[in-house]
Amino acid sequence: MRIAGIDIGSRTVKLAVLEDGQLILSRNTMTSYNPLATAQELMGDAVFDVITATGYGRHLIKGHLDCPVISEITAFARGARFFSSDCRSILDIGGQDTKAISLDQEGNLRKFEMNDKCAAGTGRFLEVMATALGFTIEEFSKAGLSAGKAVKINSTCTVFAESEVVSLTAQGAARDEVALGIHKAIVSRSIGLLKKVAVPGEIFFAGGVAYNDCVRVLLEKEMGQPVFVPSDPQIVGAVGAALSSL
Amino acid sequence: MTFNVSDVKPLINDEFTGEPTKRALQYISNQRASGMPVVGLYCGYAPLEVIRAVGAVPAILCAFADKPIPAAEEVLPANLCPLIKSSYGYIITDTCPFFGLSDAVVAETTCDGKKKMFELISSHRPMFVMDLPQLPDEAEARSNWATMISKLKGFLENTFGTSGTSEGIEAEIQATNIKNRLIRRVYEYAEKKPPLLSWQELYELSYLAQVATTEHLLPIFKEIFETIEERDDKGIYYGSPSSPRVLVTGCPVGGDSTKVYRIIEEAGGIVVAMDACSGMKPFLSDIEEKTGDPIGAVAQHYLEIPCSCMTPNTRRLTELDKVIDRFQPDAIVEVVLHACHSYNIEAYKIMTHVKEKHNLPYLKIVTDYSEGDVEQIRTRVEALLESI
Ligand code: SF4
Ligand code: SF4
Repeated sequence: MRIAGIDIGSRTVKLAVLEDGQLILSRNTMTSYNPLATAQELMGDAVFDVITATGYGRHLIKGHLDCPVISEITAFARGARFFSSDCRSILDIGGQDTKAISLDQEGNLRKFEMNDKCAAGTGRFLEVMATALGFTIEEFSKAGLSAGKAVKINSTCTVFAESEVVSLTAQGAARDEVALGIHKAIVSRSIGLLKKVAVPGEIFFAGGVAYNDCVRVLLEKEMGQPVFVPSDPQIVGAVGAALSSL
Repeated sequence: MTFNVSDVKPLINDEFTGEPTKRALQYISNQRASGMPVVGLYCGYAPLEVIRAVGAVPAILCAFADKPIPAAEEVLPANLCPLIKSSYGYIITDTCPFFGLSDAVVAETTCDGKKKMFELISSHRPMFVMDLPQLPDEAEARSNWATMISKLKGFLENTFGTSGTSEGIEAEIQATNIKNRLIRRVYEYAEKKPPLLSWQELYELSYLAQVATTEHLLPIFKEIFETIEERDDKGIYYGSPSSPRVLVTGCPVGGDSTKVYRIIEEAGGIVVAMDACSGMKPFLSDIEEKTGDPIGAVAQHYLEIPCSCMTPNTRRLTELDKVIDRFQPDAIVEVVLHACHSYNIEAYKIMTHVKEKHNLPYLKIVTDYSEGDVEQIRTRVEALLESI
């Protein structure tokens, strides 16, 4: 049987299809103003027997596909175990939200925390800051990694932080040092959530921001725990949804 | 979430079904038209028995809508509890009909935000601020609070030119006890698995029962019991036997913040108990009768309200234990209004207590009266219910 999961996030839509315990299809695309059409397009010719939806737009598609839905939190809890069978602490930094989840030995949800309703400390925050500094996302992470020291960013709000960055560079602060400061800010916000739930051992890091090496390195250092990033960190929620179709 | 059959007769079956505020408004308008002064209140600590004993009718003032908040924020800081902002906004935009009917207002020194907000509205109506002791178990607390209650009585008597007697207060104590016992009998049907009533019905009953006298409620109770016993006979219930049962605790919830109840039900849960002031808290205990010191008995009763403005507020945990034992929830949801520090901090104790003592999953939701966070709340609530 082919089981599928679709994760309709605020920034991207992801589709995963599994067969016999193997991930056989993984797709993702940017969310548009019409997430339903985006989701339908993404599913296109994909073949599957059952599908479960998750993510911010899950209820939107439920009515159209007549499929079950699960929350992102449960989806990430299940999906993480697919990639790392004994993981217990999970951090997901997506486009507009951050989740920290912990599981018990058996993989049941133990505790979770999510960020407040604003985009501070999420993928969107990084995008805005990279643009403000004139970097692509890749350059931005590299600049952070290469900086010798960090310029402290005081604002947590995306809008205020952006103007803070603009004025820091106008005052002559080095771009890479500001970049490191921003990465530190996002990591310290995530750690605030993670410390409320995490258990000792490896941290499973998912979501688009997990591609960012600078965030990963800082996270490892600040938490003092190893951080594992799966091969496709953005697909975790969709895989978890697929697994719950069974 | 619905009943298992359609066309169920509402618990309170009148033209105001689903509109508890309008029902209360009509009741208070009628009382006022018959010559009774109206006393506006904002909090569960206002001693209703004394207000009634001086011949006045209590009115719960509006505090639960988002609408007047922008007006309030022209004066108040945005980073303040929405209940306080809403209360103030209603007054300055002159849109709270209950305030319009009020001849006096009773206020208490509960949290800092309310205390300072009261100062700003004190010029609008004769107002009496009661100094609430916040260490309720100290020896002086009861006598100090009793003194405040006596002073309140004097203030109301002077303002309205009426007088209340000790016998009158004693009679009101006994009336409250009759009312509270009847309400607790109604709650027995919410304890059932599945429950026989919806959260809306429980909420409407609390709303009416805080303003109406026991005498006026008796015929309504008669009908309520007929309705509910009929449900029992016919096997009518709310939700489904497999729906997770949720107890909601924390800050008062009403009007726009009932979005949380709605979301819980949309996620497949049923709200079986609401232990805040807006729900069951006022009715869960009795006032001691025939003590010879009715003001002292009233003082004792209200001091025992387990509000987070008290410290260390251990009673909140013991009361919560009782509510958990009675209603057998599968999960606890705590609603904390934005910038309500006392409930927010106390939430940590509640979380630890329900997890360790009752092994129940717990979720804290920090929210305000806007609709902006509905989807975020939904994700959290769904995850909570999925984890049961
Ligand atoms: S929660 Fe506390 S302050 Fe608020 S109404 Fe109840 S008793 Fe009053
Ligand atoms: S909810 Fe908290 S902050 Fe708001 S009025 Fe009540 S005690 Fe005060």
